[in-house]
Amino acid sequence: MNIWEKMSKIDRRIIYLMVGLAVIIPLIFPMNLPSYPSKYAIKLYNEVDKIAPNNQPLLVSADYSPSMMPELHPMFMAIARHCFAKKIRLLVTTLDPNGAALAEDALLKISKEYPDIVYGRDYVMLGYKPGFFTVIMLLGESIIKAYPKDHFGTPLAQLPMMANVRNYADIPLVITLCGSKAMDSWVIYAGTRYHAKVGYGNTAVASADYYPWLQSGQLVGQLNGLKGASEYEYLNEKNGYTKAPKTASKGMDAVAIVHLLIMAFIIIGNIGFFALRSKSKQQGGN
Amino acid sequence: MKRQIPLMIVLFLGILLTVQFFIPSNSSTVFYQTVIQWYLIITGFTIILAVGSLVNHHNLKIRRRKEHWWNSIATITGVVVMALLGILGKIEGLGWMMDLYRKLFKYVQAPMDSAMFAILAFYMASASYRAFRARSKEALLLLISGFIVMLGVVPFGAYLWRAIPDISEWILMVPNMASKRGILLGVGLGSAATALKIILGIERSWLGGGGK
Repeated sequence: MNIWEKMSKIDRRIIYLMVGLAVIIPLIFPMNLPSYPSKYAIKLYNEVDKIAPNNQPLLVSADYSPSMMPELHPMFMAIARHCFAKKIRLLVTTLDPNGAALAEDALLKISKEYPDIVYGRDYVMLGYKPGFFTVIMLLGESIIKAYPKDHFGTPLAQLPMMANVRNYADIPLVITLCGSKAMDSWVIYAGTRYHAKVGYGNTAVASADYYPWLQSGQLVGQLNGLKGASEYEYLNEKNGYTKAPKTASKGMDAVAIVHLLIMAFIIIGNIGFFALRSKSKQQGGN
Repeated sequence: MKRQIPLMIVLFLGILLTVQFFIPSNSSTVFYQTVIQWYLIITGFTIILAVGSLVNHHNLKIRRRKEHWWNSIATITGVVVMALLGILGKIEGLGWMMDLYRKLFKYVQAPMDSAMFAILAFYMASASYRAFRARSKEALLLLISGFIVMLGVVPFGAYLWRAIPDISEWILMVPNMASKRGILLGVGLGSAATALKIILGIERSWLGGGGK
């Protein structure tokens, strides 16, 4: 096998090994690559930032399972930190049965960083309810009808934060963090039917699907995968809201290196491919 | 009658809910809210059906000793243990069960689920190396677009040239969106047509029985 054939047919085990190293090394030795927030991440951040403190809540729907956790969980944590630091009330729900445990875990961790934040007054965890888009529709009619009790079994009527929160009319912004079709349902039902303002964070692999909603203004902003999460962390830090460790930014080092590695493999593969093709043409000509 | 009654219910509710959307009265809203709550209750029952179906499927596999039947034991054990811990853990005095449930979720289920998704990175790297070959002009175009978008999502792109993220965004916002919008319109029209066919009883495959 000559060099061109070797370049054209790299053993997949070598690729796996290289990818493994490209992920592990930057996580052990962080490079702290700079962050350049995108237009839509800034838009979403500003939409959250302009919600008045101690007033109407931001609704975040943690519509993700552990498989999407590396990308979406840092987004949830960054948004929660933003809210707690600025005293923006936070209402959390989920359309994914796994989302409740993940969101609960994150809120438990973050609330310890902000001792003056009180459950029931500053944030409420609605939890999971089966029904998918029907839950979104019922939230538009009456939150208390959709969730008579919160995630921990406390009647919603007993929570001071929920006193004046009836439906989407009392929620300035809804953010869904998902890697599934949940986003479509939020736009179609919460956005179009009930005129709620919707923003979203999604896995990078799904981001290309949602640009039509962004362009039409049906979505106010976007956090695109781990990059979006790192951008939110960057904006939080820049505005002095938190000094917590930036988990997404650490992960972005690995993502950047793996992207470069994949590009390098593609270039190598194409060099080998063209060299072999020109060689076979020459042989055919002779 | 087994087929006629469901068809009549669908026709009646389908037309009623379509008309309801255009009538902004109090009784219309109450009717709408009631229907949504019915739907939520029915959805609750579908979970029971799904769990029953899953247990049946794996039970049959174990009894008939089908290939890899031992994996079915793990599945059923997982379902039973998590369900029992989750349900009984809510009872006063059995809080330790809820703690165990949370620990199993956090330290067993979540890492396994994440690991499954993480494996994709290896396959994607290998697949893109093999598939992204500039065999034609169209493939070359796809390759260049892919390169720019990939560079646009990592900090190196902007570091190399500040305009790369903007070009990447243009690719996503213009050519990508044009095709996506076309697909979305097609899906939307198709969904509306299918809904109409179901309401009018033309499409009956949802009744089961292979359309007989």
